[in-house]
Order: sequence, then structure tokens, then C-alpha cells
Amino acid sequence: MLDPAFGYLIIGGIAILFASAGVHKLRDLAHFAAIFAAYRLLPDEPARRLAGLIPCLELAVGAALLWTPSRRLGVASGIVLLIAYALALSLNLLRGRRDFECGCGAARDGRVISAWMVWRNLFLAAALGIAALPWTRRPFDLTDGLTVAGGLVVGVTFYAAVDRLLGHVAPKALILRSTS
Amino acid sequence: MTALAVSNVTLWLVVIALSVALLAVVRQLGVLHERIAPVGALMLAKGLKVGEFAPKISVQDLDARSIALGAARTDERATLIMFVSPTCPVCKILLPVLKSSLASERDWLDIILASDGEASSQREFVLAQRLGSFPYVVSASLGMAYQVSRLPFAVLIDAQGVLRARGIVNSREHLESLFEAKRMGFASIQDYFEAAAQNHQAA
Repeated sequence: MLDPAFGYLIIGGIAILFASAGVHKLRDLAHFAAIFAAYRLLPDEPARRLAGLIPCLELAVGAALLWTPSRRLGVASGIVLLIAYALALSLNLLRGRRDFECGCGAARDGRVISAWMVWRNLFLAAALGIAALPWTRRPFDLTDGLTVAGGLVVGVTFYAAVDRLLGHVAPKALILRSTS
Repeated sequence: MTALAVSNVTLWLVVIALSVALLAVVRQLGVLHERIAPVGALMLAKGLKVGEFAPKISVQDLDARSIALGAARTDERATLIMFVSPTCPVCKILLPVLKSSLASERDWLDIILASDGEASSQREFVLAQRLGSFPYVVSASLGMAYQVSRLPFAVLIDAQGVLRARGIVNSREHLESLFEAKRMGFASIQDYFEAAAQNHQAA
């Protein structure tokens, strides 16, 4: 059994993640279409046409997570989406193709795909899996509100910090270290 | 409010403040790394020395024209050998810079691209990146002779066949620093700064 405070924390955090990912992709759809085609999961032409579907799916998952009746569906489709991304990333890493943008994070981020992104997606999918456990029924009071709100703020900033550290700072530090 | 609730609220505020501070520090680190990058082409301490004669090697480009590298030239032109690869992302960023350098430095400099690996993928790369204006050499022995460890790697040889610069080139600033160093008569931009610092101390 999962305490509802933890449940809301996980659901809320991952809903924010999906919503922001979807919005970023929709804001520069042509760019994302090029990235999606670069994953070479589909032939170039259909990939570019279907690219618009992904941000819509992400927004739908984000919304479904927040609404109680559709939460189970949201959790299941969110896990499927996250694992599909992890598979697409690892497939390309195994092919030895690592010189194209990941399409994650902010638009025009310019980060290339790498192995830690696979682990990140599996971690997020596991977190969603925990939220799929049955929740204990207990009244939700002010302290729980504080836990969820505080936890979300910390979760979002901490995720952004780790994301930046692994995506931007660590690769550059590696270049500096290997050339000196 | 009970003492426990006060303590809880305080702790939340502190944790939020700490994670915001962490994010700020990480962002600053990123900015710092951006700034550190363009200091000039990175010279390697080991291997061939700048100022010595470059190894003489005769190679063929993709069009089967033979090129003698490292030999003294009568036309007073320097040669820049740029080691690239179709699979290196930084090389692709650098290619437009090389194209503009080919035009802007054409009075004194020949630029040769060198790579290693399958000829078919190299031809594909030349076509896709429109590198027809460069002589393109595919040779493993060339890379070994100049001890190329990482890409993109540049080697600058003057008209007398003397190695003027050799190092990893990651950006426009790195590449241009090689030309600036050559113009000022220093082996590398780092040497220039060192000499400048010594002059400053002497004065």
C-alpha cells in the first residue's frame, strides 16, 4: 500500500515532466520532427509526419495522470511511453549512433543522446510503477498539502539540476579532462 | 501550530532553498565550461615537437591525385592537415569554419582533409557535407605519423616543411588561433600569451 502523499508527489511530478516535454516539442515541431527522423525508427518521410503525435501523447498522459478516473490509464501509458523512449535511445546507442540530439529537455537544447538518458527513463518508469500500487485511504490534510507542494518544488529543481549536470556540464568536463 | 509543524515547514523551506541553490551552481558551472573552451587549439605535450621538420609522407586523395606532405615547397605556401571523420559530431560543426578559412586564408594556406576508414563511407561524407573543394585523403599511416589521438585534429606545416602547430581543434576560435599564432610567429597562442606575460614582467 502506498501513502497518498507519496502517490500525489510521484503523479504530480511526472505529470509536470510530461506536460513540459510536450509543450517544448510543440513549440518547435519542425525541429522535433527532424530529431524524431534522426532516431531512424521509421523511414524518414513517415517519421516526420508522425512526429506531431508524440507531444500530443505526452500532453494526454500528463492530463490523464492528474484526473482521478483516468489515472490508471495515464500511469500505464506513461510507463509504456517512457520505456519506448528508453528502447529507442538504447537501440541507437547500440547501433553506434550517438551524434544526434536527444529531443529531450528544452527545445534547441542541442544535447546528444547518451546512456544515462536510458537509466533516467527507466527510473521514471519505475517511479510511475510505484504510483500504480493501491493507495491507502486516509483523509488528506494540510500537512500532506505541504509535503506534496514542497516535494514538487524540490523535485522539479533537483531534476533540472541533475539533468543539467549530466547533460551539459559532465560532457564538457570530460572533454577538458581528456585533452589536458 | 505545534513545534513539530513549525520544524517541518522550516525544513521544507531550507530544502527548497538548497535545491534552488544547487540548480544555480550547476548552471554557473555550465557557463564556466562554455567560457573555458575557446582558449586556443590545445597543444599536446608528447609526440612530435612544433619547430621540428614534419614527417615526409606521400599520400593519395580520393580522386587518386598524389600529395607530398611534409616536404619543403617552392611556392611558399603552408599546409593545414585537418583530421576528421564522418562519425565525429564536432568535425561537422567545424566543416563550415574550414570552408570559410579555405577562402579567407587562400593566399598562403592549402587545407587538406584527412581521415581513416572505409572509402565508401568517406565518399558519402564528402558528398553529404559538400567537401569537393578540399583534397580528401584516406590514410591510416598519415594519422599514425602525426600521432593523431583525438578528432578533430589539426597539423599546420609551413613552406619549409617545419611543423608549426599540432593539436585538437574544437571550435572556430581554436582554428583561428592557429592562424593568428602563425601570423605572429609563435608556435601556439599559449606561447604568445607566455611571451607576452614575460615581456610584461621584464618591463
